[in-house]
Amino acid sequence: MLRKIALWIDERLHVSKIYASTAGHSVPASAESWFYVFGSGTLLCFIIQIVTGICLAFVYVPSANEAYTSLEYLNYQQPLGWFIRAMHDWGSNFMVGIMILHMTQVFLFGAYKYPRELTWISGVVLLICTLGMAFTGQIMRFDQDAYWGLGIGAAMMGRVPLIGPNIVHLMLGGPIIAGETLSRFFTLHVFIIPGLIIAVVSMHLRLVLMKGINEYPEPGKPVNKLTYEKGYEELLKKEGVPFVPNAIRKDLIFSGLVMLGILFCATFFGPSGPEGTPDPTQIRTVPRPDFFFLWIFSVLALLPEYLETFLILTAPIVGIALLFALPFLSGTGEKSYHRRPVAFLSVVVIYLVVGILTYLGTYSPWSPQMDAWSGDQMPVKYIQGRTPLELEGALVFQNKQCRNCHSLGGLGGQRGPALDRVATIMTSDQLVRQVLQGGGNMPAFGKNLSPPEVAALAAFMRTLRAPTESPVRNSTEPAQPGR
Amino acid sequence: MIVRRRRTVLLITIVLVVLVPACDWMPGRPTPAERWKPKSEIKDFNQLYAQNCSGCHGANGGQGAAQPLNDPVYLALVSDEKLRQTTAHGVPSSLMPAYAESAGGTLTSAQIDVLVAGMRSRWARPNEFNNVGLPPYSIEDAIAKGSGPGNPDRGATVYKTYCAQCHGEEGRGGEKAGSIVDPNFLALVSDQSLRTTVITGRPDMKKPDWRSNLDGQAMTPQQISDVVAWLASLRPGTEAKTPPEVKTARR
Ligand code: HEC
Ligand code: HEC
Ligand code: HEC
Repeated sequence: MLRKIALWIDERLHVSKIYASTAGHSVPASAESWFYVFGSGTLLCFIIQIVTGICLAFVYVPSANEAYTSLEYLNYQQPLGWFIRAMHDWGSNFMVGIMILHMTQVFLFGAYKYPRELTWISGVVLLICTLGMAFTGQIMRFDQDAYWGLGIGAAMMGRVPLIGPNIVHLMLGGPIIAGETLSRFFTLHVFIIPGLIIAVVSMHLRLVLMKGINEYPEPGKPVNKLTYEKGYEELLKKEGVPFVPNAIRKDLIFSGLVMLGILFCATFFGPSGPEGTPDPTQIRTVPRPDFFFLWIFSVLALLPEYLETFLILTAPIVGIALLFALPFLSGTGEKSYHRRPVAFLSVVVIYLVVGILTYLGTYSPWSPQMDAWSGDQMPVKYIQGRTPLELEGALVFQNKQCRNCHSLGGLGGQRGPALDRVATIMTSDQLVRQVLQGGGNMPAFGKNLSPPEVAALAAFMRTLRAPTESPVRNSTEPAQPGR
Repeated sequence: MIVRRRRTVLLITIVLVVLVPACDWMPGRPTPAERWKPKSEIKDFNQLYAQNCSGCHGANGGQGAAQPLNDPVYLALVSDEKLRQTTAHGVPSSLMPAYAESAGGTLTSAQIDVLVAGMRSRWARPNEFNNVGLPPYSIEDAIAKGSGPGNPDRGATVYKTYCAQCHGEEGRGGEKAGSIVDPNFLALVSDQSLRTTVITGRPDMKKPDWRSNLDGQAMTPQQISDVVAWLASLRPGTEAKTPPEVKTARR
């Protein structure tokens, strides 16, 4: 009886056929590898994002006045509201991270080569969509960081020749960042981009089924358009294993770990922001974009002025075009990265560059630290045993905000060099000249300092050295008598 | 083997999922204290002090380059009104900045009140000064209370008696302390700051207060005014021997 019902259903819905062609389809035994788990990990993150996102949407109000308040409500009133926010927040970090790993693996293993070009291309579309989700998601907070992110985005778009202003208008839903902007980005974040992702993911998976999972590449077995498909079929016949339960095992374990990772981070690090209602007069804060955009933040900050417009407009286009063109540029040939030194090196270089830029972005040494002058205490060792004039010099150092760019005892801005040992490298005259005339990225203080202030400052800075070191002297200056 | 490992993973997941709602103490949970506030709404003394004052007056009110604010002697000497006024408007042509929004600073008057009340409640020990005859805080107070304005000539003698042991015969610095007659130093400090220093000393730098420069012999209010007048007379641009009540522009 039961069997009959089952058969009836199967006949109508083709459940067993669908099963056989999806879960049951065979994959090369070599694809049962820990390197092949990132795709499913990304998918899991996406599912988590959908679930937590829907939960958030129950409370979130996409209006300029209430977005912020509704997030505060989630954080402080709604039981576990903060946790959902944290899951969504960390879920997005994990999703971007694992997606990048997936992409790196696909690239290094040559999986984008013939006949899987479209799989790669749909993947690039997914990359763009996911970054789009990350960016629009950050806007949902509608706090200072969101304003800042939008501001940067608008400034970049505004540089497009001819149609720049129109793009900005379209993006912001008006001439300025306002409620319309939020509505626009909300629609992107919850309808358009997720819809697109679901559609493209379906296609991506369909392609994976159709063209098979890339076999673990072996050096010395280049792809040849004439023989590849046949070889792959033979490989499956010889050593194919069903996707379920064989190949999926590691996927499941990895997904479990990802889940744990997200839960762990959400529990221990919590959600981020919202970081203050946007207030154009609050110039003292240094807003930062979310983690994965930090490197762009660094690039923008470090780029010399004359390159900026050019790079901002061309680099993203060239980069994306390269990604799309990749399977056509090297659609055949060696797959294994052992035989593709250029590919391998470019991955290493890109990782290093982005890593360093991200690291710089996390503490943005190029921006002065606006509170240092009044907040960062002077190390006691630079105070004890100093003469009254030197003490005044320390006060000038704080009062004139030198500390905002120069750290002492590890505290203070890092725009300029730390000055803890400056007495050992600069004479009084050099110190005075540096202060009065500036130089490099240091402003000239000439008119803003009175002669007594300069004298006190120089006296103070002459004491900045370890007790065992002696200061450098002008050759004409006699050695200082010890006190 | 793998099955067993998967079970452990599953178990941990379940335990976590069950624990999650149970833990309001979870470290990631945002606390109201971490909640972002506009700077003008910060009303916590520690935070206000750390952001605005510790750079010059030291991390806990002492051991900074500027005079310590956690000194009970100083707090017994000075009125709330004076603290408030100095914080709000700074000390003109010295390195003490003005904090009141009305004076171009960043603090609201409510925040300045928090600072004043906080310094008082945290660092003052009024009971210790019940039987101590404190000298008048300012020269105006001193004159109002009947001691005459400071006299630089008498001040020079006072200096020799009370201060020379540390600051040297001429004030140019000695074994225990540096020069206090350096024209650049004097150009940067106000008379009140000199006066405050003479009265309160600098407990954080082993500089004695007005009672203990000389064993068992406290300085009189007149002597204090005199020695400050002497120091002020050495300031460049001030003609020697100008009586301090005739306020001439400094420098
Ligand atoms: C806007 C940030 C900024 C401020 C404010 C600033 N500096 Fe600098 N300072 C710099 C930079 C950047 C350099 C490195 C200049 C170069 O590359 O030649 C520098 C260099 C110096 C040097 C030379 C150090 C060395 O190792 O070569 C001294 C000394 C110095 N600054 C003192 C001061 C003093 C004193 C003040 C306050 C009156 C001050 N700076 C304020 C940014 C700043
Ligand atoms: C840039 C350094 C600097 C900062 C920051 C600073 N001060 Fe001062 N402060 C000074 C100096 C220097 C003096 C002595 C001024 C003078 O010459 O009279 C002073 C004096 C004072 C005095 C008066 C002492 C007296 O003689 O009665 C008070 C009170 C005071 N500061 C409170 C504060 C408070 C409260 C803050 C934080 C809101 C603060 N200061 C921040 C440098 C600073
Ligand atoms: C026991 C030694 C001692 C005596 C006595 C002494 N001082 Fe000082 N004084 C110090 C020390 C220590 C400092 C901290 C600065 C230094 O080390 O040079 C100091 C600092 C000062 C300062 C500068 C304070 C500042 O914050 O910049 C003044 C002004 C001063 N003394 C005036 C006097 C006067 C006036 C007298 C006499 C009434 C006097 N001192 C007596 C030890 C002494």
